[in-house]
Amino acid sequence: MKCGNGIEARQVNELFINIDPIQAGGRLTGDAIKAIIAYGDGYSVCDNCRKPNRLDCIAKPPIAEFHKDVAAWLNMDAARMMPGARRGFQAVAHTYVNRGDPVLVTSLSHYTEFLAVEGAGGVACEIPADERHLVTPDAAAAKIEEVVHKFKKAPVLALIDHVDYQYGNLHDVAGIAKVAHQYDVPVLCNGAYTVGTMPVDGRAIGADFVVGSGHKSMAAPAPSGVLAATAERAKEVFRTTTIEGDVTGRKFGIKEPEMMGCTLMGATLVGMMASFPHVRERVKHFDRELENNRVVTEALLSIDGTKILSEYPRKHTLTRVDTTGSFDKVAESHKKKGFYFSSALNDKGIFGLIPGATRVWKFNTYGMTAKQARYLADAFIAVAQENGVLVKS
Amino acid sequence: MSKRAVDLIFSATYMLTDLRMILRETAPAHELDERQRAEVTRLLENLERQVGSLKQEMLK
Repeated sequence: MKCGNGIEARQVNELFINIDPIQAGGRLTGDAIKAIIAYGDGYSVCDNCRKPNRLDCIAKPPIAEFHKDVAAWLNMDAARMMPGARRGFQAVAHTYVNRGDPVLVTSLSHYTEFLAVEGAGGVACEIPADERHLVTPDAAAAKIEEVVHKFKKAPVLALIDHVDYQYGNLHDVAGIAKVAHQYDVPVLCNGAYTVGTMPVDGRAIGADFVVGSGHKSMAAPAPSGVLAATAERAKEVFRTTTIEGDVTGRKFGIKEPEMMGCTLMGATLVGMMASFPHVRERVKHFDRELENNRVVTEALLSIDGTKILSEYPRKHTLTRVDTTGSFDKVAESHKKKGFYFSSALNDKGIFGLIPGATRVWKFNTYGMTAKQARYLADAFIAVAQENGVLVKS
Repeated sequence: MSKRAVDLIFSATYMLTDLRMILRETAPAHELDERQRAEVTRLLENLERQVGSLKQEMLK
């Protein structure tokens, strides 16, 4: 079935259980799909844009209220919707980082955090994760001291992942923020995998900024995200324009340079807005998500030679697994080579494993029903048994 | 054409979306439990009514 112009209608989430590690939390709610149907036209949310002519001030649809609600939900003072978490990193880096400035990231940071630092001319200084793949306050303190020694000044910013994309591990951002603040380093908490999936309290964390991803974790279309700030930092990152045309004398009101004026328009924004009540509710039930994840990880661990590389017991549903000692051994002699594994899972209605991957791979159980989690667990075991891999009872 | 026809189109599309969501939460086997079966029945009956009204509205 085609949507138009040769574009196949995507039916992945209707036909399969989707375990793609980056897609789970961004699947839309029914209300988001309905909102997109109504607001798909380009400038659809701008029908009632009145002075002061800025997206986050629009009252109908209730965009202004939504911005306030999101800030309050994250226990921060102000929020702006962004075209992806990465644009949040970029706005903050551009505000605080000058050429040659050291910026703290971690050895598990997402590449877009590096690009944000690079774009602002900064130097990335990685806090190394420990042998458990956790970034600790002690490691942050040691790295800051190292930076001070090398650059003769403290880092100008720290970008710390709440849950990292590689292992799905939950890091002590609150502890790291406490250390960073002793050196007056503002802290951005990258909640791309947590804002919208589990409770996030920016003030309790001690973050100056909280960044979330709409399309990763807030059941919203791409590209969407949120940048929330404390009142003190909001004045800096959400500062308003002061530029004036030298010929026309034009000024641009209360537009914000880091936001490039208005940010999310149309379908992306209303998709986020429509999902928000559901998202706000679902984070309260993260324990159910962890229970579903436990069912699946225990099934995987029952397959001889399989290891969970993420911290265990799991504190997040994004999980890294090593099947070098199990499914990869089958690949050595299978006629489909490593492709047998994803192929077998596809045949059982499971999507999202990188075709050919049989050694180290990731999956995400977020948003599944308990029945789907059980089905997935049984499917892994069935693929193992069908291929002669021992399954422990 | 009328505002009623437009409302009917949105309403019918939204009912289809609700059906789509049931397909998502029951993938891949789409085995419906009693509650889901009742919901699907309700949605399909409403949808038939909406489409009937839409036919009258747009072809009158």
